[in-house]
Amino acid sequence: MYVEFLGIPRERAGISELEVDAATLGQLLRTLATRCPGLGALMTADALHPSIAANLNGDAFVSDPATPLAEGDRLLILSADAGG
Amino acid sequence: MPFGYHGNYLRIDVSSGRAERVPLSDTVLRQYLGGSGLGARLLLDEGGATTDPLSPEAPLIFAFSPLVGSPLTTSAKFAVVSRSPLTERFNDSLASSGFAIAGKRTGSDAILIVGRAADWSVLVIDDGDVRLEPADDVLGDPCQVAEEKLRARLGADYRIASIGPAGERAVRYATISHDGRHAGRGGSGAVLGSKRIKAIAVRGTKYCEWAHPRELTELSRDLSKRSFGPATAKYRELGTATNLLTFNRFGTLPTRNFQTGTFDEAPSISPEQLRVEHARTRASCVACTIGCEHIYSLGNGKVRLEYESLFALGSLCGVSDGAAVLRASQRCDELGIDTISTGGSIAFAMECVERGSLDEPWLTFGSGDAVFKAIELIGQREGVGAILAEGSRKAAQIIGQGSIAFAPQVKGLEIPGYEPRALQTMALGFAVGARGADHNRSGAYDVDFSDKVDRRNATLDSVRHAIDTEDRAALMDSLILCKFLRGVFTDFQAETAGMLHAVTGWDVTADELRDTARRIISAKRQVNLLAGWTPDEDTLPERFLDAPLPNDPAATLTRERLHQLVAEYHRQRGW
Repeated sequence: MYVEFLGIPRERAGISELEVDAATLGQLLRTLATRCPGLGALMTADALHPSIAANLNGDAFVSDPATPLAEGDRLLILSADAGG
Repeated sequence: MPFGYHGNYLRIDVSSGRAERVPLSDTVLRQYLGGSGLGARLLLDEGGATTDPLSPEAPLIFAFSPLVGSPLTTSAKFAVVSRSPLTERFNDSLASSGFAIAGKRTGSDAILIVGRAADWSVLVIDDGDVRLEPADDVLGDPCQVAEEKLRARLGADYRIASIGPAGERAVRYATISHDGRHAGRGGSGAVLGSKRIKAIAVRGTKYCEWAHPRELTELSRDLSKRSFGPATAKYRELGTATNLLTFNRFGTLPTRNFQTGTFDEAPSISPEQLRVEHARTRASCVACTIGCEHIYSLGNGKVRLEYESLFALGSLCGVSDGAAVLRASQRCDELGIDTISTGGSIAFAMECVERGSLDEPWLTFGSGDAVFKAIELIGQREGVGAILAEGSRKAAQIIGQGSIAFAPQVKGLEIPGYEPRALQTMALGFAVGARGADHNRSGAYDVDFSDKVDRRNATLDSVRHAIDTEDRAALMDSLILCKFLRGVFTDFQAETAGMLHAVTGWDVTADELRDTARRIISAKRQVNLLAGWTPDEDTLPERFLDAPLPNDPAATLTRERLHQLVAEYHRQRGW
């Protein structure tokens, strides 16, 4: 599966996209903490800072670490504050 | 009078030159706070809901707040309140920085202007002294030029709010500008221009005391510290323009007059690309620790670019040239016109040309030159600009041929950069907003970008979330604090009740502030009822109803669904 970074997460990660193997959201976030250390301040062990949101495939926003992820999924990680 | 206030508003009749300080009771101040709330109350009391917005009788109110002048970050703001010449409904627009502080130091909690000066004038308020001076040397000047000239004439300790050439010509969405920032939406610049006032200059020495200064200092330090954290990082590091690629990814970026929600060329006008081609600096308002202003170099000048300007003059008009978008935004600033209404009106006209219902073959989607030319014509009120200067709703009425179906407005106010079909809680917020389609008085997009709702399938559960964001916005606009701070609060009403207590000494609670928010929303509604609001105004244009969003077929908002949401909103509001 792929992770797409938008906004502040993209700035912190230094990349726009990353291919990852993960079966759950929590697993994915733990992987990101290792592979993208710049994201450190934006997440805890398996959760995102409230200022950051995660969206699955452009559809639902997800936050439960147990959220299952499938091959082919795209998880978008973006600034939660959508305002302008 | 309570701490934090002067206990009066300054009522100025520029026809006669007469000025008086009108008392404000503690009750009114506690019930409406300041800013938008106080402005709404004064507009009702002065009969502003039923007067022609461009008539001499129409009141124009500059309202400050108890937090203005305090050390609380982002508190240097003021509200400009009137009936809108664009919508003929309630209008409040906010701007920032030194004018708020200097205006309050003249000794009043609000400045209310009626009348019409005999000649174009500068209204000077120097502590208790009010006078009109000639405006000959600044007439026709862009806002910032006028501001510099007037400070050179009057003194550097003055702070100036001015209109540009568009306000002088009563463009219906003309702004009032101070220090490069605009009270942008709804045409307050046209209202000030109708009074033949080019600018207002304020300075003063009257400070308000605080009830609990030490407590306030501690709260301010804590708020400032939190304002540097992750909750405001987006504004500080990237600016609001970063929304562009995010919205494009989600298919919610209004493109070519809301024909679709994705713009293939979005990367070419993204801030990520702009900063490669144009040097960028940051700036902030007085008394702000966030520093959200991202300013791009352009030729010999500079332009501050926000998401709303970027979408309105970029994707909405199909323009993929970053320099063209910057140039267009800069020109809007110089003329003093709202970029959202400008872009919306131009994009609407482009679609009319595309459909053959408007004979202006140069005005085509994708042409940055066409956008710039249209802006010039709007500012001058010449050619097609004379029609577009009235806003897209009036333009559609003039052009006819069914074009009202795709005029991107609600109640006459052009829709900001959120595609309603794919952000349906926001769609509700647009439909019911007191001043029209508005992302600032309703923060419902936050709800759509969360796990609280399905953004493409709003249910009645969405309504209470929309109401919550509206109430919070009303409080923030009345206290006044910047909405970019909202993410730092854990319990907004409880925390701001503490701040208000420290300033005023009132034993205000979170529940009281919730009631205050509802009272302020009701006051705005009362203005609209008196101004002739009818239920059929709380809707969206035909384009957004029943047909799916072309780039996202799952994003369909039926007319029936919207009506249900609106009806539930009214029911929950108790109306």
